[in-house]
Amino acid sequence: MVKISSFKWLFGRNSEFWPTNMKTGMWAWVGHRLTGLVLVVYVFLHLSFLSQASLSHASFDELMETMSQPLFVFLDFLLVCAVIYHAMNGFRVVLFDMGIGIRRQKLVFWIAMAVAAVIVLVAFYVLFNEGLFKGEWF
Amino acid sequence: MGERRIATSKVAGTWAWFFQRLSGVLLVILLALHIYVDHYMDVGVELTVGEVHTRMKQLVFIVVDYSMLAMVLFHGLNGTRTVLFDFDMFIKRKKLVDVGLWVLGVATMIWGIFVLFPFING
Repeated sequence: MVKISSFKWLFGRNSEFWPTNMKTGMWAWVGHRLTGLVLVVYVFLHLSFLSQASLSHASFDELMETMSQPLFVFLDFLLVCAVIYHAMNGFRVVLFDMGIGIRRQKLVFWIAMAVAAVIVLVAFYVLFNEGLFKGEWF
Repeated sequence: MGERRIATSKVAGTWAWFFQRLSGVLLVILLALHIYVDHYMDVGVELTVGEVHTRMKQLVFIVVDYSMLAMVLFHGLNGTRTVLFDFDMFIKRKKLVDVGLWVLGVATMIWGIFVLFPFING
């Protein structure tokens, strides 16, 4: 049996995961894991949406028309943000594994986030500029 | 660290670590291309099976998409494995976790191969 008290290291006030106990590197790590798990779930969602085409071409085309509504495009945009964060922080981890920058891990994190922010802004600009957020949201 | 005793890196293994890095770097490149080609290059074009088929009938996209799926499944499920091994209850059941994730990965790969057929055949 799994007891709640055995998770105190994870959720307790004295645990390193309690928000006020977390610093930059820890937030980066938690963010990497959360975005990672979200993206794993998305891969399965992605495949199940694509598998609509195996039922009939028409039902897939119809589904894609629904998915082109601004709300879903916005969710796609959030997904792209998660990918970009995970990729940029992933590069940071790879650099550390090669012995580069680990003593400057906070600085490297903020450089990675600056690059991520630029890519996110470009992505948003393209979507906005092409009018993909126009029309009915719900 | 409270109750934690075993370093996750000791449980997960060196090859898992190495291929996680390799697939990660390759996925950044492939995914950037995937998102650009599939979602930005033809923004505004209505997305249909026929439209996707014009791309998916080309061998290069078939090869790239299937290798990307294999890599993404490895990277995602191996990442999940790392997260699970942060918990003692999963370290204790290492064999079960490994077999379970391999079965899930291989089954999803087979499913994924069939999922692309309508787009390849048109």
